[in-house]
Amino acid sequence: MNEASLIGLLFATVSFGALLYLAALGELLAEKAGVLNLGVEGMMAIGAVTAFIAGVEFQNPWLALIIAMLSGALLASVHGFFTVGLGAEQVVSGLSLTILGLGLAAYLGKGYVGLPPGAELVPVEWGRLSDLPWVGPILFNQAPIVYLALLSGIAVSLILSSTRLGLALRAAGESASSTDSAGHSVLGLRLAAVAAGGALAGASGAYLTLSITPQWAEGVTAGRGWIAVALVIFGAWRPSRVGWGALLFGGTLALKPRLQTFGVDFSPIILSMLPYILTLLILLIISVQARKRPSPAPAALGLAYRREER
Amino acid sequence: MKRPRLSLREQPLPGGQPLAFGTGLAIALFVGTLLLLGAGHDPLRIYSRMFDASLGDPDAWAITLNRAVPLGLAGLAVAIAGSMGLWNIGAEGQIMAGAIGAAWVARIGGDWPGLVLITMMLVAAIGGGGILALGPAVARAKLGVNEIITTLMLNEVAIRLVQWLIHGPWKDPDSFNFPLAPMLPDQARLPTLFSRAHFGLLIAAAVIIIASVAVRYTAWGYELRIAGSSESTARYSGISLPKKVLTVLVLSGAVAGLAGGVELAGTADRLTETISNGFGFAGIIVAALALMRPSGVAAVALLFGAVQIGGQSIQTLGVSSSVSTILQAFVLFGAIGAGVFSRYRVTLDSGPASTPEEAKS
Repeated sequence: MNEASLIGLLFATVSFGALLYLAALGELLAEKAGVLNLGVEGMMAIGAVTAFIAGVEFQNPWLALIIAMLSGALLASVHGFFTVGLGAEQVVSGLSLTILGLGLAAYLGKGYVGLPPGAELVPVEWGRLSDLPWVGPILFNQAPIVYLALLSGIAVSLILSSTRLGLALRAAGESASSTDSAGHSVLGLRLAAVAAGGALAGASGAYLTLSITPQWAEGVTAGRGWIAVALVIFGAWRPSRVGWGALLFGGTLALKPRLQTFGVDFSPIILSMLPYILTLLILLIISVQARKRPSPAPAALGLAYRREER
Repeated sequence: MKRPRLSLREQPLPGGQPLAFGTGLAIALFVGTLLLLGAGHDPLRIYSRMFDASLGDPDAWAITLNRAVPLGLAGLAVAIAGSMGLWNIGAEGQIMAGAIGAAWVARIGGDWPGLVLITMMLVAAIGGGGILALGPAVARAKLGVNEIITTLMLNEVAIRLVQWLIHGPWKDPDSFNFPLAPMLPDQARLPTLFSRAHFGLLIAAAVIIIASVAVRYTAWGYELRIAGSSESTARYSGISLPKKVLTVLVLSGAVAGLAGGVELAGTADRLTETISNGFGFAGIIVAALALMRPSGVAAVALLFGAVQIGGQSIQTLGVSSSVSTILQAFVLFGAIGAGVFSRYRVTLDSGPASTPEEAKS
C-alpha cells in the first residue's frame, strides 16, 4: 500500500460518507418527527435519475441538484400523504415507496442509460488548502455536495437542538397528542419533515449521478438507502454521531473495491456486511443501556396520529 | 372553512379489503394506461397480453401459481408475526437463509433417495429461516429491541451471505468462473402437478390452512391475537409475552425459510443472488393487504402473483419492466389508501375552530 492509494481510500471514504450522511440526515429528520420512512432507496434513485436527466437537458449541475431535491421531496410526500394524512402503516407505505421510486427511476431514465453526463459537480478548488499534503487531496478537493452535506448536518443539528421549530418537530415524534395540545400542527410538522427528508435523499442520489459515477444505470443506488436507514440507528438519532457513523460506513464502501489492490485476503462481500452487523450491535448496546436511561429512539416513531383517537 | 377528517367506522365496511385491492388494481390500470400511452404502446393489447400470460390458460395458471407459492408463504410468515402486532421485515433474508439451508442439504445428500433428500432440504430450509429470525426474536423478547430494524438489517446480511457462497465456496467449478452455484441434482427438484405447477403449491396450501386454523381456532392462536391487540390484557390473563414473542418470530422466520426451500427446489435450478427476487418484501405487502390474517393470504398472493407474471410477460412486447414495477407500486398505494377508507369515513368538519391554529388566526 503506498501513499497515493491510501489517499485515494481516504478521499473515497469522505465522499461515500457524505453520500450516506445526506440520506441518513433526511431519514433522521423524518424519524425525529415520528415517521419511519423505509423508502430511502427509492427516493435516492429518483434523485439520481432526475439529476442526471436535468443535467443532460439543461447542462447546469446546480439546477440538476435542485430538481433532484424537489423530486425527492415530492416522492417522499406520497409517503407523507398515506402515513401522516391517512394514518396508513408506515412500514408498508415506506416499502411500497421504495418499489415506486425504483420503478419510476427506471422508467424515466430509460432513454438516458449510458449517455455521457450533461453536467457534473466538479471538485471545489480551495486555493492553498488544496495543496496541503494529505489533508488537501482528502478534504479540500471534494465535490461541493460533500461540503453541503457537512453544512446540512450542522443545520439539522442546530435546528433540532436550538430552535422552536426543532423543538416542535421533536415533540411531534415523542408525543403527538401533547404537541397538538400545545398548539402545533402535528400533521404539518410531520409532512414537512418527511418532505425535507426526501429532499436530502434526493440530493444524496444526485451526488451519485452528478459526481461519484456520473452516469445513469438502473440499480446505481445499490442498496445504499438501507445503509442510511441503519445509520440513523447507529448514530442513536443524533446528527453528529450519524456523521461519524457515515464516515465509518463510507469507509467500508470505499475499502470494498480496494481490498484486492491492498493485497488483503478478505472477502469484499463479507466486508460489506459490516455496516449492518455494527448497527445490530449498537442496537443491542442501546437497548441494554435503555434499562438505565431512556432509549434515544423517538417515542412516537411509527405511530400514526389521529386527533379523535387520542 | 370545512376540513376533511377521518373518523373510525364502528364496523369496517363489509367486503372492505377485496374492495381495497380492487381499487388498487383500478388505480394501477388507470396510471398504467397513461404510462403505456406515454411510451407509445396500445394499452388494450398490453392488458390482454397480461391477462393471457397470467390467467389465460392452464400453462399460464401454472406459472402464476408457482409465483403465488413464495408470495403466499412469505405473506403468511409476515401475517403470523403480524397477528401478534410484530413486524417481520426480514422475510427476504429468511427466504435466502432457507434457500441456503436447502442448497446445503442438496450438496451433501446428492445421492440420497429423492423423497428423503427433498424432505431434508425443506427441513433445513425451515431451520435456516428460523435461525435467522432467532436473533431478532431473542432481542425483542428479552431486551425489547425493535424487531423491524433487526430483521431489516439481517436481510442485507443474508443476501451477502448468498453472494459470498456463490462467489466463493459454493461456486460451480464448471461455471467458467462465473459466480454460479451448481445446478441442483434432478432428485432434489419438487415433482410437478400439472403443466409447470410444482408440488410446492400443495405444501403452501397446507401450511396456510394449518396456520389459519391455529391462529383462528386454537387457544394458542387466541392468546396470540390477545397479545397482538393489547399487551396489558395479555399480561393480566397470564400469557407469557416474551415466550410468545420468541416462538412467533421464530415460527415466522421458519415459514419464510420454507418459502426459500420450496422456491429453490420448485422453480430455481440453483442458488442465485436473486433466489428471493423481492418475495420477502412483497410478502409484507401481501400480509398487509390480507389485514394480517393468515386465512386471507392465499387469495392476495394469487392476485399479486398474477399481476407480477402479467407484468413480466409484456416485456416481450417491448414494455420496460419498470412499467410493471410501477403498476405494482400503484396497486399497493391504491390498496393502502382504500384500506384506510374501508375502516374510516371521511367527514367534513364545519365550524371555525377545528384546529387551534385556525382558532388563533
